[in-house]
Amino acid sequence: MGNRFAVCLSLLTMAALSGCGDQRILEKVGFTQTTSYDLLPDGRLKIAVAIPKADPEAELSRQLLTTTALSSKEARINLSRQTNLILVSGQMRNTLYGLSLAKSGLWNHIDTLMRDPSISPQVKVTVVNGDAESLLKKNYEQHPRTGKYIDRLLEKEAQEQAVPKVTLYEFARNYFDDGVDPVAPIVKDDGDSVIVDGIALFRDDKYAGRIEPGDSIIFALLERDFKKGEISIELAGEEGKKEIVMFSSLISSRKVEVGHGDAGTRTVNINVDVKGSILEYIGRLKLSDDANRHELERKISEHLSSRGNQLVGMMQEKGTDSLGIGMYVRNSMSYAAWKKLNWREEFPDVQVKCNIHVKIKDYGKFR
Amino acid sequence: MNIFRTILQGMLKKPADAANAGQSDMAYEPENVPGVKPTLVHTLYEFQDCMDLTHRAYPEIGVDVLYFGHLVDNHQLAQDVLNPILHIRADEVHMLLRQTQFWPAADSKELIEGILSGQVAIFNGADTYLVNVSGPKERQVSTSESETVITGPHDAFNEQAGACLSLIRKRVKSSHLKVIKLSVGEVTKTDVYILYIQDIANMLYVREAIRRITNIEIDAVHDSNMLIQYIDDNPMSIFPQFLTSERPDAIASKLAAGRVVGIVDGSPSVFSAPTSFFEFFSSSDDYYQRWMLGTATRLLRFLAFGITITFTALYVSVTTYHYEMIPENLLLTIAESRSKVPFPPVYEALLMETTIELLREAGARLPTKIGQTIGIVGGIVIGQAAVQAGLTSNILIIAVASSAIASFVIPSYVMSASIRLIRFGLILLAGLWGNFGLAIALAAIVIHMSGLTSLGSSYLTPVAPFKLEDWRDIFIRAPFGLLVKRPTQAAPPNKVKNKMRR
Repeated sequence: MGNRFAVCLSLLTMAALSGCGDQRILEKVGFTQTTSYDLLPDGRLKIAVAIPKADPEAELSRQLLTTTALSSKEARINLSRQTNLILVSGQMRNTLYGLSLAKSGLWNHIDTLMRDPSISPQVKVTVVNGDAESLLKKNYEQHPRTGKYIDRLLEKEAQEQAVPKVTLYEFARNYFDDGVDPVAPIVKDDGDSVIVDGIALFRDDKYAGRIEPGDSIIFALLERDFKKGEISIELAGEEGKKEIVMFSSLISSRKVEVGHGDAGTRTVNINVDVKGSILEYIGRLKLSDDANRHELERKISEHLSSRGNQLVGMMQEKGTDSLGIGMYVRNSMSYAAWKKLNWREEFPDVQVKCNIHVKIKDYGKFR
Repeated sequence: MNIFRTILQGMLKKPADAANAGQSDMAYEPENVPGVKPTLVHTLYEFQDCMDLTHRAYPEIGVDVLYFGHLVDNHQLAQDVLNPILHIRADEVHMLLRQTQFWPAADSKELIEGILSGQVAIFNGADTYLVNVSGPKERQVSTSESETVITGPHDAFNEQAGACLSLIRKRVKSSHLKVIKLSVGEVTKTDVYILYIQDIANMLYVREAIRRITNIEIDAVHDSNMLIQYIDDNPMSIFPQFLTSERPDAIASKLAAGRVVGIVDGSPSVFSAPTSFFEFFSSSDDYYQRWMLGTATRLLRFLAFGITITFTALYVSVTTYHYEMIPENLLLTIAESRSKVPFPPVYEALLMETTIELLREAGARLPTKIGQTIGIVGGIVIGQAAVQAGLTSNILIIAVASSAIASFVIPSYVMSASIRLIRFGLILLAGLWGNFGLAIALAAIVIHMSGLTSLGSSYLTPVAPFKLEDWRDIFIRAPFGLLVKRPTQAAPPNKVKNKMRR
């Protein structure tokens, strides 16, 4: 019995000794909400973290720590020397990369983030047009804390298809996948606000170009199926007058067809069906008339298709297959043939045609 | 759990030995050897110094009457015994005592037990008779304090075994309802009745229950909740292994389900066996409501079980180790309310849980009128002042209060108390190892429960062994048309209880 008692006692001691280690008690922890990375001209990294503060008596709602270092983990040690809180990254929501860093390649940093088990793969990847640290540092008075503000802004914009939702997971997947290149939303400082500034196109992990904010919905139409979105279109009307259409509640589905020509030429058709309702129309056509409405549908379709073709042309020029056309090409051929093909070289020469077909479901309460 | 048992046994060993050693001094040595013919002198000697014994002598007819005045019904005593004796002559005594209410007592021990249980002893020369005119004082049948329902019958058992039996007989009017009388307690000689319905109850369980009760060797048993601790399968477990209830309708339904029921004289609780863990979560109300409501309330109780067990522990583990798990919007609120608290979360949680337990215990011990003030004082002190003083965080108050409320949702008070105690272990382990500790604690509970039995049947029926059919009447309350069979745990010889199709 005494022996058993000793065993129990030692088990209890073991429990007590092994427990309580590695504690991260809430009020003693600084949760990094957003991290920004910039590349300095001398090749060092400038890293800033925004930490929301829970202290009700503090004047500022967040701490912003900045340091320069050779790597992001070294930066964390530097940053932790500046604060009374234990720095942790398990509540990270967004990572901002300055354009300078994006141009020189992101993968090393994203690899570090993916490797850390406490960092969620749902952390967003965002490119800042300009200096990421100064964007994060700035307090936008009419908006929430800057880190949270950018995160919510992107979340909401992604719901309306204005930017793609790009997380560490999606970036890494598109980086490794054959026949597709990653993208990321771009934001920039706009005085009193932060503004979404289009979509960054990457060639492998290097920034190669950008899609204008006005075209990002076209990118969305060509890239994926979605059920919510809106677009404003300017059509050339008669006698040089412009017609303006605001097309909303979009439901879009796309199909990609790959054709192989005799001489090894490839054609890709991206067929998109868009349904939506007209919220605003300024022009001469009468929407309640079937013929007129079909004419408008045709005009919008033509307009969108040509913009789609321009967009694809631009991407072919930059050599970034951000739409993932390569994946469809890959799926249309044998693995051996795909391995033989150098898609990177082939992509600019592929004949891509966008056929966007629009259907007006509804044209408003007032008829 | 084995470790736990070992520790407990280690602690209990010495006192138990001491008790064994001292038993020979304490033990009650019956002086009445069976078969000894009863005599007045011997009987009076046995009841020496018992001031409450009434002794009436009728020297002219040579009759002596002995009884306890407070145990007999005076009216019946006068009608059946005293009046006839007063109105006869000496030579008629012999004829009178041949009337059927007079039982000849052949054995001195039987006679003394008869007097003790409220019978009247009559001595006439060498002959001795007993007349049953017992009519002890009993509490009125009233509503149950501990198990209330909104719809359905409100009567509850009282302390008199006879009243309990009559309440059950009134509900189960069948000659198949059998009652076996046993006696427990060397000193108290408490009556224990085992009830079962012939051809529905499994006789293996009936015999097992009887065997265990007859094996009890103890001086006194005062309540059925005490008795079941002498006969349950695992005395070291924290969980009650037999269901007790004060409600005659609940007990009648247990009988009809083929379970064995036991009544202890002097206790308003009646136990039923075999019992599964999940039975403690059903209330009679479930059957009196529409089935969807019954189902919803039952699911609510299982949810409450989960909340009670894990809520505070989860708070501790999340605030101590797993800040990643908190949603962004809640994070700052919790951190803010924690920022003034000087203790780590585990001490904070233990402090609040202890306070709640103090309040509950104080409320249970105090008279109802003062009990209300306890609620107000506790509500204000704990809810407001503790937070303002910076002793605890708001969120913890919510966690502690909701898990306390959730624990009261469980209909059986005994089970609810057990579960509330387990919570402390979970909080400690969550403070030591975080979610890992929580998982270990939950696993230990499941492992322990898997090993439990009730009268030899699995405590976790119908989950293990897996009996999907029983789930209709355990986790949900299916419409009566679907409740076709009796529960498998009772292993009834007659399985079908509902032949109607609708």
